Amino acid sequence: MKIEISKDWCLKMASLEGDTEIGAGVTAADPLFDGEAETQNVGEDEPSIAFGRFVRLMRRNKGLTLEELAEQADIDVAELVEIEDDVRHKAELRSVYQLANYFQVPRGNLMQVAGLTTPKNDNLIHEAVRFAARSEPVAALSQAERAALEAFVTVLSERD
Amino acid sequence: MTAVISPIALLNATNGKLEEAELWDAITEKQLGDWEAEWIPELFKAIQKLHRAGVERVHWPQSRHWNWRQKTRALQGMLAHPGFSIVCNGTTQGMMIVDITTHRCRVESQKGKDLVYVEYVENAPWNRPELADPPLYRGIGSILIRAAIALSIEEEFKGRIGLHALPQSNGFYANTCGMTDLGIDASYHGLRYFEMTPEQAESFIAKGN
Repeated sequence: MKIEISKDWCLKMASLEGDTEIGAGVTAADPLFDGEAETQNVGEDEPSIAFGRFVRLMRRNKGLTLEELAEQADIDVAELVEIEDDVRHKAELRSVYQLANYFQVPRGNLMQVAGLTTPKNDNLIHEAVRFAARSEPVAALSQAERAALEAFVTVLSERD
Repeated sequence: MTAVISPIALLNATNGKLEEAELWDAITEKQLGDWEAEWIPELFKAIQKLHRAGVERVHWPQSRHWNWRQKTRALQGMLAHPGFSIVCNGTTQGMMIVDITTHRCRVESQKGKDLVYVEYVENAPWNRPELADPPLYRGIGSILIRAAIALSIEEEFKGRIGLHALPQSNGFYANTCGMTDLGIDASYHGLRYFEMTPEQAESFIAKGN
């Protein structure tokens, strides 16, 4: 429906309204951001393999360690480890936002790939799956990887 | 969904100038996209700022024990309802969702009559005084209420509207809009219920003329 509202009316009411809050209805209440909220939601169990893989490859492409990326993108290193290594980890909104800014990719798309928002772009999701499949590393371990693996196997093999 | 767009204007509080804007008679995927990609990160940053500044939680904006994913779903669930949105500078600045079928007037003089019930009104975080200093655009609440009145008139409800205000917004609905405060509604999350009669709707519109 077309509604006729003059500019003068808008100006006068904007002055009367001033800086007042206008939120109405319980849906307008702000969500909590401190981790206290319930997180049992449908779809949260869906893994987001492509997101972790994307972050890892972007980081390696820039030659950054986990700590360096965490520092430069201003996110928690523990969260970054989970993003890269735990396909069922649901990244914090802020972390996805920071990573999107750091890697200069659209926030909305990265949030979809991270499974934080309902996918609206089927092609994006299809490409994300393809990316996850194609980026599975097949190269032989580097010297550093082999050394790290052997050191960890040694620790794992120790008996109490 | 195709929206009919009406030209409006918002007051840019940072430079005191009126800016051309659009009133859409719908909430579309664009609005939801803006909410997810623009509003929520801003809201997060603002609340984080309060947290870092050592502001006690009781002084934080009204929040609820749900997370933003739940809220996204709540909004998605309301997409099919009639609604309005305000777009300025390419971005959604405010949204409103209404229900024209299930609610009836409570105020004595109008009891039982049909009304437009405003299910949800929200301003973009950068337009909210609690979160932005100064808020960017003014006038969003008044234009959305004007739209609700226009819809009420079109539905032959004579401008009658009703809503439950969030606590910080009670002043806007009582004073600027001149609605009747029917007190705290224990059956609706303890929020105050406000109603606008046809006479109050007329007075509200006349305020800006």
